[in-house]
Amino acid sequence: MTAWEKLRPYGMVAPSIIIFSMFFIYPIFYMIYLSFYDWNFVSPDKTFVGLQNFKDLLTDEDFRQVLSNTTLYTLMTVALTTGLSLFLALWLNRKGVFHAFVQGAIFSPHIISLVSISLLWSWLMDPEYGLLNWVIGLFGFEKMQWLSHPETSLVSLVIVAVWKGIGYNTLVFIAGLQSIPADIYEAAALDQSKPWTTFRRIILPMLSPTIFFLVIINMIGSFQVFETIAIMTQGGPVNSTNTLVYYIYENGFRFFKIGYASAAGVILLAIVGLLTIVYFRLLSSRVHYR
Amino acid sequence: MALRVLNVLCLLLLVLVFAMPFGWMLSTSLKTLPETMIFPPAWIPKQPVWENYAEAWKTGPFLKYFMNSFIVAIGILICQALTIIPAAYAFARYKFAGSNLLFGVVMVTLMIPAQLIFLPVYLELSALKLLNTHLGLILPFASSAFGIFLLRQGFMQVPEELIEAARLDQASEWKIIVRLMVPLVKPVLVTFALFSFIAHWNDYFWPLVMTTNETARTLPLGIAKIREVEGVATWNVLMAGNLILVAPILVAFFFSQRHIIRAFVYSGVK
Amino acid sequence: MAKIELINICKKYKDETVIDDLNLTIKDGSFTVLVGPSGCGKSTTLRMIAGLETATGGEIRIGGKRVNDTAPGHRDVAMVFQNYALYPTMTVRGNIEFGLKNRGVAKAEREKLIAEIAEIVGLDQLLDRKPQQLSGGQRQRVALARAMVKKPKVFILDEPLSNLDAKLRNQMRTELIQLHRRLGTTFVYVTHDQVEAMSMGDEIVVMHQGVIQQADTPMKLYHEPANLFTAQFIGTPAMNVLDTRDAAGLSLESESTVAKLGFRPEQAVFDWGGMHEGYRLTGEVMTRESLGAENIYQIKAPGGVFFVKTFLEPLREEQTVRVVVPYEQLYYFGPDGKRLYGVRVQERQLAAAGGV
Repeated sequence: MTAWEKLRPYGMVAPSIIIFSMFFIYPIFYMIYLSFYDWNFVSPDKTFVGLQNFKDLLTDEDFRQVLSNTTLYTLMTVALTTGLSLFLALWLNRKGVFHAFVQGAIFSPHIISLVSISLLWSWLMDPEYGLLNWVIGLFGFEKMQWLSHPETSLVSLVIVAVWKGIGYNTLVFIAGLQSIPADIYEAAALDQSKPWTTFRRIILPMLSPTIFFLVIINMIGSFQVFETIAIMTQGGPVNSTNTLVYYIYENGFRFFKIGYASAAGVILLAIVGLLTIVYFRLLSSRVHYR
Repeated sequence: MALRVLNVLCLLLLVLVFAMPFGWMLSTSLKTLPETMIFPPAWIPKQPVWENYAEAWKTGPFLKYFMNSFIVAIGILICQALTIIPAAYAFARYKFAGSNLLFGVVMVTLMIPAQLIFLPVYLELSALKLLNTHLGLILPFASSAFGIFLLRQGFMQVPEELIEAARLDQASEWKIIVRLMVPLVKPVLVTFALFSFIAHWNDYFWPLVMTTNETARTLPLGIAKIREVEGVATWNVLMAGNLILVAPILVAFFFSQRHIIRAFVYSGVK
Repeated sequence: MAKIELINICKKYKDETVIDDLNLTIKDGSFTVLVGPSGCGKSTTLRMIAGLETATGGEIRIGGKRVNDTAPGHRDVAMVFQNYALYPTMTVRGNIEFGLKNRGVAKAEREKLIAEIAEIVGLDQLLDRKPQQLSGGQRQRVALARAMVKKPKVFILDEPLSNLDAKLRNQMRTELIQLHRRLGTTFVYVTHDQVEAMSMGDEIVVMHQGVIQQADTPMKLYHEPANLFTAQFIGTPAMNVLDTRDAAGLSLESESTVAKLGFRPEQAVFDWGGMHEGYRLTGEVMTRESLGAENIYQIKAPGGVFFVKTFLEPLREEQTVRVVVPYEQLYYFGPDGKRLYGVRVQERQLAAAGGV
């Protein structure tokens, strides 16, 4: 091998590795470093404060609210999205133009900018003139406040997230269903398995890798929710929709509490990291049926 | 038979849940302001008000936003093509010391979302004087861990025999990559390109954080700003602006639905 | 055209030795077949000749020139791969042309060569198709054309027929033999199928566990196997082998220990009704397989299970049979599996005439 041949692979990966190191790996460490300092971005000096930022965070009533909002939002979004999309997948898993059209329709929100979706749903959920109140009126319900009331605001955001995410999840489930070989269904039919038994004993176990994948992806995604909150509620009313990333954003860019925001970032990093590790653990230890 | 009719009706209802909001957006965008303030709402505006679009366009430098969006999304795409292809090929086909460690860097990057590190990256770009520039919006995404991962899989699936055949045909390594391997993974490349373009065209978060003035602001920011400029209540203008943002993507989706769905679904599954 | 010499070739992967000290000369213009069970090192040997694997030790010469450090593309070797390895993104024409382009052959010359080759292998109508649009046999032809167009000194074929159905395989066998006659180039052919080896090669190299067992012409291999492995590898059904200790009624005279005794199923004769001098065996018929012209019997005797193959005889229905193997058709092997020569039978037995 010539020297050129030895160096070639390094040259080929270098640009990517440099970019990743600069904009993903290094920032992680920089953020951890900043979380130990008190700094307002403008002043030239940073003051080392040790774990003070973390102590402040954990005693801050607002931050606790933020953590509980984020967790609640995540649990609701993930449970609803995964459950409903599994149901839709079983229903829509057919070939044919009409089914392709239906699949396309429910998928369409996934490729639309979150800005559009947030604006559109703000209007749909308008307490006075919104279409949503008209629709629930058809079923005999009273007008609701949706985003404008602390009791319904978080659930309203969950509805938007589910509406946007369900199509993607359904199609991933359909892909998973289609990768189950047809002869297994045929064998089950010959064994006189009832539909529910087939679902519980065959489909569900064989889909479990897909379910894992979606649950974790949805969880990681939901923990970082930002756009809908920034555009639709700005964390309100009365902090009822303030979540982690929005909280970090506000503290960093509105209040210039860089160290404090970084500490919150480190906590988010820990949560996302933990979820990722859990995912890979489960992925490698999980029985593979194929 | 009755069951089948019921099934189709339910399916249509399902479609309605997803199509109605878009229809509502279109309808609102053509209404006069008083028309938006009627309850129960009217579906068809008496006289379509096309001026809403002009008004939305005038709330900010929209041509500039549009160009910025285009430059950033295409710029990212070009940079990614140049960085991802060689990296993915090297990881897929060469054995070299430290390749596992370097691929580890890729995998870790794959796990880090932009929402996690925007604060330190903001400080970094600010130090590099790259805030409010196209370059600042492009550079952090000039390579993609996801793209490398995806393309590496593609390269690994090419049978070794093909490369050997090319070697016996006296093809140089460069020629093997450009003439043989890259055409072979074209479907994966198209998939990733669609995915990347749509993601960055739609992106709101990153440009929001990394710009403080109009020089490099993109379309989603411009649309979101209509609300601030016009005040809360002018839903007709807002929906008109919103339609400007959504239309290109929806049209593209209408024409290449199969491709786009595959791009998003299968790139996630595999 | 060139002869190929492999001198003291070794191949190691990390700690595992695949081939140790292999010596082989492939004659100029021969159709040499490397045959053996999977994992015997035949493909590795082939790939070392092509330059796709580097030899850990030893020397490879093509046409008298050392090629160990020559890149595959510069060895003047063309290869047909097991799965054809056609470039899926190029047309048939593109596939054939690719190697020529890389060698800097001028366009006019390329066109001429492609037209010529396409005519020979019958691809002239398919030049603008993509490989995916072709049948298995057509792909095979493209692979051949791609190799032939370079006019190489050596043709290397790695199990090229294994993906074809039985009928097409037979047809391609014949075509390959004719092609070899016409070109007169050295062919090196790898297969695991001994029938294919016997029917195609004029030199056969039997390999096992990285060691050459025997390199000879097909007839020599069949009639004069050098060891137990070759004896059992060539021929269907395989040569019957009995332990000499179980061979009752046979006393042998030999300078070295005779461990095993072998005979070919087609050399054994059913004893009824004829006068035969030879080794006699009695046993129960376990299975009968009738293939029309030939019948194969599996017989269980006290000494072990063996096969008998007969040609153009009616199928026998008896349960118990007596079989005679002429003495000169017996093969003897030592404890190490080596063929033993000069073994004599002491008491000759004459099979009873008409005995029941």
